Amino acid sequence: MTNLPPPGAGDHNPLADAPIDPPASAPIDSPTIDTRNTGLDDGVNRCPQCGATDIQLRPSAGTLICLFCRHEWSEARLDETIANGDLTALRGTTMGSGATDIDTGADTMITMKCAGCGAEVVVNTAEQMGSRCHWCRHVLTVNEQVPNGAVPDAVLPFKITHAAAMEKINEFAGKRRMFADRAFVREFKSENVVGVYMPYMVIDGNLSADVAGFGEIETRQYTRGSGDNKETVYDADVFEVQRHVDFTVDDLTIESSAERANHDSSVNTNNIINTILPFDTENAVKWNASYLTGFTSEKRDQDVTHLHPELQDQMLSIARAQLVSSVDRYDRGVRWEREKLEVHGTRWVAMYLPVWLYSYYHESGGKGMVHYIAVNGRTGEVMGSVPVSQKRLVGAAVAFGGVIEVIAIAILAAAS
Amino acid sequence: MIATLLGALAADDGGPAWILATGPLGGGAAYFGFWRYYRNTDKSHNFEHETRVTAQPVTGNDAKVDEITGTKKSGIDGDNRSNHRQRVQRLG
Repeated sequence: MTNLPPPGAGDHNPLADAPIDPPASAPIDSPTIDTRNTGLDDGVNRCPQCGATDIQLRPSAGTLICLFCRHEWSEARLDETIANGDLTALRGTTMGSGATDIDTGADTMITMKCAGCGAEVVVNTAEQMGSRCHWCRHVLTVNEQVPNGAVPDAVLPFKITHAAAMEKINEFAGKRRMFADRAFVREFKSENVVGVYMPYMVIDGNLSADVAGFGEIETRQYTRGSGDNKETVYDADVFEVQRHVDFTVDDLTIESSAERANHDSSVNTNNIINTILPFDTENAVKWNASYLTGFTSEKRDQDVTHLHPELQDQMLSIARAQLVSSVDRYDRGVRWEREKLEVHGTRWVAMYLPVWLYSYYHESGGKGMVHYIAVNGRTGEVMGSVPVSQKRLVGAAVAFGGVIEVIAIAILAAAS
Repeated sequence: MIATLLGALAADDGGPAWILATGPLGGGAAYFGFWRYYRNTDKSHNFEHETRVTAQPVTGNDAKVDEITGTKKSGIDGDNRSNHRQRVQRLG
């Protein structure tokens, strides 16, 4: 049963005086799951069959392939290497070793010594996780978890190829040519789409929620008055409604880059990248930087504590969605007024997820904005923002409104 | 003809004026409909329904507290049953 106070009693209940927002900076004292790929070191990583270092992802098969001997292999799925267990047993905050707090003093530039020739090679982990030695051409990759947060617990490799992503972006933009900004139409080249591994936190949770409010059931509908003053009125019964639900959530996915998590559509189009979620995160594999060869990446800059408010917000929304069928009888609707979330346990895993991204910078009225068309690198779901030609769109709207107006005048003329 | 239309506009039942307003309203709706189709500013991940959730049976209480008679409103004020992302007073 619910443990919320009645809706009308909130002002007198001690719970009502509690802080509305959860303590975002609550201390987290919980175990860490070791997700390090101990079979790999920073620097030269060789093909297990021939020893070459030219290794990259083969998206159509989801495997790593040695470009020298064509040997193919995969890292183990993360789900197979860590104990998932029963989510209802989750307690406290658990996180992967790749999701631990970022050392803000740690440099994003990592210098590695090439095992082939001894040269020093610098990798900017804010954008990529490997580099080719400019002397001996060996490929060096960052595989050890580093304090700057650049190495996550797992990576979900691209499955959609560059050609397939181009096709989807062409189709999406092709449907939106008529009122698109003319410069966008002229400069659109789908081959410029780039594969980016975006940073996310993937979260399991064990939670309870209580929600309270009022619901109304119509008891009678009738008309009152006569002639021009006739009106429909209703009688209804009003109920106090309280609901409680215990639930677990598996693989809720939240952006772990502060910039990407800003979905203010008046200043950016990050909501486009958010819309192509979800991913089949259960197929993510243990970290191997060779999966990123040929792609760019964005580094995580948010810790678990930063993401707690967003997590709780989304969990409350999920809880409210779970309650809909339990208030079906209230045919005049329900007004929820109070809500409470209890987080019994969460498990956080940092993950790189694959996104094909087409970007176009557009200026309008002195205000610039980057418009994205994004393709989910696993499912192929596509969403985008195409800059609009105001001249064309306003012209079409005026013409459309004009046609309706002519018809309206014709009806009036006929009636009179 | 024009005098007839002006006469209709001046009619006090509001009918002809409403019909004449359909032109501007239709034009405005076309503008915003197409703008949204191109910009997709209203789109986001539907995590409420696209995340794997296992819920125990919902429990709770329902208690009749009042009766309304003769209201012109066809629904409850502030209905947020389907607006899961609208946050309300947070307890605890």
